[in-house]
Amino acid sequence: MQHTLGTLLLLVSMYIKSQMEYRGAFWLDRLAQIVSYGAVLLGMWILLQKFDLLGGWNWPELALLFSFQLLAYALGASASFTQLRDLEDLVRLGTLDALLTKPINTWAYLIFSGLNIGYAGHIILAIPVLVWALLAAQVQWSLFTAMFFAASLISAMLVTGAVITMIGATAMIWVRSNHLFSIFFGFWELTRYPLNIFPGGIQAVMLTIVPLGYISAVPVAVLLDKPVPLLGDFAWLAALLAGPVLTLIAIAHWRYAMSRYQGAGG
Amino acid sequence: MSAYTAFVRSGFLTSLAYRSEVWANIFGKLVQVFARVAIWLAVYAGVTAVDGISIGDMITYALLGGVVMGATRYDRIIRHVGTALKTGDVAVWLLKPVHYPLYLLSIEAGASAYTFLLAVVPTIVIVALVYGMHPPASLFHGVMFAAYCGLSFIIHFLCAAIFGVLAFWLMTIFSLEWLLQSLISLLSGLLIPFWFFPEPFGSIASHQPLAWLVYYPSAVWLGRLDIGQTLLYFGFGIAWAGLLTLALTLLWRRAASRITVHGG
Repeated sequence: MQHTLGTLLLLVSMYIKSQMEYRGAFWLDRLAQIVSYGAVLLGMWILLQKFDLLGGWNWPELALLFSFQLLAYALGASASFTQLRDLEDLVRLGTLDALLTKPINTWAYLIFSGLNIGYAGHIILAIPVLVWALLAAQVQWSLFTAMFFAASLISAMLVTGAVITMIGATAMIWVRSNHLFSIFFGFWELTRYPLNIFPGGIQAVMLTIVPLGYISAVPVAVLLDKPVPLLGDFAWLAALLAGPVLTLIAIAHWRYAMSRYQGAGG
Repeated sequence: MSAYTAFVRSGFLTSLAYRSEVWANIFGKLVQVFARVAIWLAVYAGVTAVDGISIGDMITYALLGGVVMGATRYDRIIRHVGTALKTGDVAVWLLKPVHYPLYLLSIEAGASAYTFLLAVVPTIVIVALVYGMHPPASLFHGVMFAAYCGLSFIIHFLCAAIFGVLAFWLMTIFSLEWLLQSLISLLSGLLIPFWFFPEPFGSIASHQPLAWLVYYPSAVWLGRLDIGQTLLYFGFGIAWAGLLTLALTLLWRRAASRITVHGG
C-alpha cells in the first residue's frame, strides 16, 4: 500500500515537473481560462444589471452558483477529464494494452500520471468569487449549513469525477467516447443557472440520467434555502448522497468496461 | 480554384465520416439553445417587453444566435493550425501550390455547410416549433439576414484564422482558443444583445468586428435596423472583413517566413 502510494506520488510529481518545463505557456493558458470564465461571469452581471433577478435568484446568489460550480468542476475534472478524454486515443492506438500490463491499478495510473494542475486557473477565479458571494448572498450560517457546504462541495466534486469516468470508460466498449463529452458539456453549461428556469424534462434529466444538477444547482439552492424542483425537502440529502452513490456506480461501470475491453489498436 | 472547391467537398465529406460526433453535437446544441431560451423566459418573468424588446423577440434572437453560430467552429480552425504546426504539416503546405489560409477557409466552409444542414437547421426547427419564432421583419430584412450570415461566416473565420496564425509565435493554441472563446461569448452578442449592455459599453461593443457574428444578423432579422442602417452596417462589416483579411495576410506572410527561417 505504502509502495503504491509512493509510486502514485512520484507519478504526480513527474507530471507536474513536465508541465512546469513550459512555465510561461502554463501560466498564459491559466490566464486565458480566467479571462474566459471571467467573461461568462461578466455576461451574467450585465444581464442582472438589467433584469435584477434570474428565476428568482439575484446577482450574489448567481455568483455563488457560478463559483461553486466552477470550483467543484475544477476539483473533480482535474482527477478525471483530460485523462479519460485521452483514453479513447489509448484504446484506438492500442497503447492501453501496455498500461494493462503494468503492476499497478490501471485507473490509478491513468489518473495520477496525468493529474491536471491546469485547473489552477479555474480555482484561482472561483475561490475569491465564492468567498465574496458567500458573504454577499446572505447565507443563514449554522453548524449544519457549514458542514453541508463542505460535504456538498466534496459530493459535487465526486459527481463530476464519476460522470466523466463513466463517459471516458465507454471508450473501452465502443472505442469512441468523445462525442459523449459534447453532450456532457451541453448539460454542464446549464449548471451555471438555477435548475428551476429550465423545462421540466431538462430538470428531470439533470437529476437522473445526466446528474449534473448535483454539481451546483441543488447544493447551492439548499444553502440559500430556495425550493429545488422535483426533490423538494429531500434536496439536501440527495446533494450529499449523489457523490458517493455515483462514485460507486462509476467504479462498477469502470470494472464492467475493463471486462469488455478487447483491444482496438494495432 | 477547382482545388479549393475540392477542399470544400472534402470538408463536407470528412464531417460525414464522423456522424456520431455530429449527432452528439446536435443534441448538445439543442440543449444549449433550449437553455438560452429558458434564460430569457426566466429574466422576463412574465413581463411582455423590456426597452421595447418583447419576449418573442428575445426567443427569436436566441434561436438566430444558434443559426449563425451553430455551424462554424472557431476552435476547429485554431486546432487545425495548431495540429499542422505541431506535426510540421504546415511546412508541407508551404510547398503546395495552394494558399494555406484559403485552404483552411475551404475546409471550414465544407464542414460548416454539413453542420448547418444536418445539425443547425433541425435544432432550430425543433426549438422554434416548441417556443415559436418571429418571421423576418420584411422580405428585405430576410434577404439581408442571409447576406449578413455570409459576412458572419467570413468574419468568424478571419478572427479564428488570425488567432490560429498567432500560434506561430506563441507555439501553443490552448490560450488562443480560450481567449477567442471569451471574446466571442461576450462581444458577439451571442448571450446578451448589446441593446441590454450599459452605456457606453453597448455602443463600443456594437462597433467592433465580432458584433457582425451574431448581433447584426439577428438585429436585421428582427427589423431593429431600418433599410438605410441595414445597408450602412453591412458596409461597415465588409470594411471590417477587409481589414481582418489584410491583417491575416500580413500575419501569414510573417509566419511563413518564420517557418522558412527555422525549418529545414
